[in-house]
Amino acid sequence: MGRVFSFGSYFPGTSVVHRCDPRAKLVLACAFIVIVLLCADFPAVGACAAFVLVLYGVARLPVGKTAASLAPLSLIVVLAALLNLFVTQGGAVYVSLGFIQISEAGVRACLFVASRLVTMLLAMSLVTMTTTTLDITEAFERLLGPLARVGVPAHELAMILGIALRFLPQFAQELVTVYQAQVSRGARFSVNPLAGGMRALTALVVPLFASAFRHAETLAGAMEARCYHGGEGRTRLSPLELHARDAVAAASVAVLAACVLAINLASRLP
Amino acid sequence: MISFEGVRFTYDDAASVLDGVDLDVAAGEFVCVLGGNGSGKSTLAKHVNALLVPDAGCVRVDGMDTREPESLYAVRATAGMVFQNPDDQIVASLIENDVAFGPENLGLPSDELRRRVTHALAEVGLAGFEKKETAALSGGQKQRVAIAGVLAMEPKVLLLDEASAMLDPRGRAGLLRVCAELHAAGMTVVMITHFMEEAVRADRVVVLEGGRIKLEGTPREVFAHVDELRALNLEVPFAADFSARLRTAGVEVPLEIDEGRLADEVAARWRAAGGAGARGTAAAVTAGARDMADACGMAGKSRDAEGTAETPQVAADESQVAADPAAPQPAGVPLIAFEHVSYAYDAAVAKRGRASKRARKEPAQTPDWGNSPDAVWALRDVSLSVREGEFLGIAGHTGSGKSTLIQHMNGLLHPTAGRVLAGGADLADKRVAREVRGSVGLVFQYPERQLFAATVYDDVSFGPRNLGLPEDEVGRRVRASLEQVGLDPDVLSAKSPFELSGGQQRRVAFAGVLAMRPRTLVLDEPAAGLDPAARRDFLGLIARLHAQGMTVVMASHSMDDLARLCSRVAVLKEGELFAVGTPQEVFMRADELRSIGLGVPAAQRMANALRAKGLPLASGVLYDERSLACDLAALLGRSA
Repeated sequence: MGRVFSFGSYFPGTSVVHRCDPRAKLVLACAFIVIVLLCADFPAVGACAAFVLVLYGVARLPVGKTAASLAPLSLIVVLAALLNLFVTQGGAVYVSLGFIQISEAGVRACLFVASRLVTMLLAMSLVTMTTTTLDITEAFERLLGPLARVGVPAHELAMILGIALRFLPQFAQELVTVYQAQVSRGARFSVNPLAGGMRALTALVVPLFASAFRHAETLAGAMEARCYHGGEGRTRLSPLELHARDAVAAASVAVLAACVLAINLASRLP
Repeated sequence: MISFEGVRFTYDDAASVLDGVDLDVAAGEFVCVLGGNGSGKSTLAKHVNALLVPDAGCVRVDGMDTREPESLYAVRATAGMVFQNPDDQIVASLIENDVAFGPENLGLPSDELRRRVTHALAEVGLAGFEKKETAALSGGQKQRVAIAGVLAMEPKVLLLDEASAMLDPRGRAGLLRVCAELHAAGMTVVMITHFMEEAVRADRVVVLEGGRIKLEGTPREVFAHVDELRALNLEVPFAADFSARLRTAGVEVPLEIDEGRLADEVAARWRAAGGAGARGTAAAVTAGARDMADACGMAGKSRDAEGTAETPQVAADESQVAADPAAPQPAGVPLIAFEHVSYAYDAAVAKRGRASKRARKEPAQTPDWGNSPDAVWALRDVSLSVREGEFLGIAGHTGSGKSTLIQHMNGLLHPTAGRVLAGGADLADKRVAREVRGSVGLVFQYPERQLFAATVYDDVSFGPRNLGLPEDEVGRRVRASLEQVGLDPDVLSAKSPFELSGGQQRRVAFAGVLAMRPRTLVLDEPAAGLDPAARRDFLGLIARLHAQGMTVVMASHSMDDLARLCSRVAVLKEGELFAVGTPQEVFMRADELRSIGLGVPAAQRMANALRAKGLPLASGVLYDERSLACDLAALLGRSA
């Protein structure tokens, strides 16, 4: 069976990044994304990227695994970049074919968007690669905790998220099998998606949905059989605790934010 | 510990799934529940841990009534349940979190949770696997994790609902060992299964049919009813079946359910009848046995005919095919040829690792079963050809490269090194690969999972339509292929495939491949997960297609099926071709096969055991049940 990569699948380890509190990681990752969005130009994005890459080193994540985990999302990056390439206009015109025009500003915007997106994806992937799904969902649940009082089903949402994450690699695997089976029956997925390709697509999607429903039914039974009855009264194997390292993590993100702002200001000065 | 009193249950008010079940399971007992599909055995299991509650009657677990809402979680913690599909019951990505899921729901403190997780994992032989990912485990390992998850709740009863049905023989053996150990330590075990080898180990066997208990007693008592069990579409353990066969052939042996003891009995009879003195006449005896073969064959067949629900047509076809391997096989034209094929899923790693491959052949941490997921090469230098008109079997453990090999046969995968030729053309060429897909039909494991269309007709016609055939030809093919798999096109064409039973769904999926009109049919574990009756039907169907001239390649874990059906067998071991030849040639090498953890067909295993005890059985033949019974009858009958 083909090995399937899904975005940011967990890579076991004992580094300080792995051991950070998942709540801290989630919040700081969000903060990081905001910081990246605040970046005005390449140097600032470069600083952010460097920051993430250093953390990858600290977490000892292998380059191959990281690249493979990001690969499926590269399509989004490419699309967003291309969109900017054609839409943004200004400066010298490099290519002009009828209504298509590629200008200096377009190329700039294209590269800038791409680098920002990649940096953000790297950060998200770092969190998911160093945090187990249960920890992520637990963090999610605890962060949503205050909202539970106004009727937000925090525990249920977290459980849904956790199970979704747990089944991602499985569905990816099943998708490959179904794909191979339908290709064996002569299906061609690369041709025009409008004529005939649609039928080929349902041949992929319907079995996947059927499988999801099948899994859901038995999984629900299996969870019930193990006394699952919602979040009430549940305890945790490894309860979340904030440590000094989480403070250090928060501080370093704060330093990064300061750097980015400084770089932004510096670039605005004449 | 568990008591059922007049339990009735229905899902839809129309048909009773449980129809008055009375059953008591004592503390510390090991009970096996047998039954065909639809006999109500899973429903029974769900009553024990209160996933279902009876409509009438009463179920008590450790004195607690399952209908009492306040004792619900106590019941579920007392009777822990392991389900059939390992993938459907694992909640978490890390093993320790999954094992802790149950006790977490019970609200235990963290240090107690930690203690239980460690303890439970040690009990199922997975100590030290706490931080491993569940997704990377083999099926057998996942089921052990599921058992650990149940054990962490410190139950008194372990319920297994066909927990071994989707495992390979090695995974099944591991699961059984864990259950036996737990039972020895005092756990009450209730196992629902259709593998008779598992039932033999139980203290008590309960046979369910139509929601009622049909037979009940020790395995020895229950399996004495060979014919009755067959009528219920169940198999009997090989030893029970074979002792019955021997008795029909005139050898008076007691009914045994254990192969070793049956061998002892037969050997004792032989010694009593003058044993070793007859050794000099071994050749004559074998010849004599061949003369008697006809008579024995008749006896065996008439017994089959009265005892089974098999259609006569299937039975006839199967015996015809079974005779096939004996006939000299003309050296056919290779349809598909593998030339030094190696394959790595991660080609980049393989390239880097090639130099140091020898050095790190021992992976850092190997579990004592299952293949290492880190193994780089899925296939290593395999040269093999599929000949026109043959039935090629592929044996090997899960992870030995069977599925990978099969996916090379129609160009789904391309070799990392070496070539695959189809009719002389290299499959690396995309156009060739596309053409081959019309002539090589690939049936994946659990093919029913690929059904997608709104009607059976649409699903089966998917292949022919992709071939660009005109609509009337598509219609003809759909009809023909549905008939080939034994389904009525008029009844089923307009139905949704999702409404059908599991066995029918598999047939529809199979028809979808046949509608491509392949010359070669490649099947990956076609009988996986089916109950004995469906299994027999499905294999009969494949044998019939082969008898009609189809070239068949079949990967299977069942050595008995391979020996019975195939004209050649290839054995894979860790991606390398370990042996290839006629079933006779391959299964003669019992010791070598055992050294890589594979077995031989049951009859051959028995013959080998008897030979080791000094019985002068011919050594160069592959025995099946009938020929062995005949030879033994001749041997013992004559010297008696």
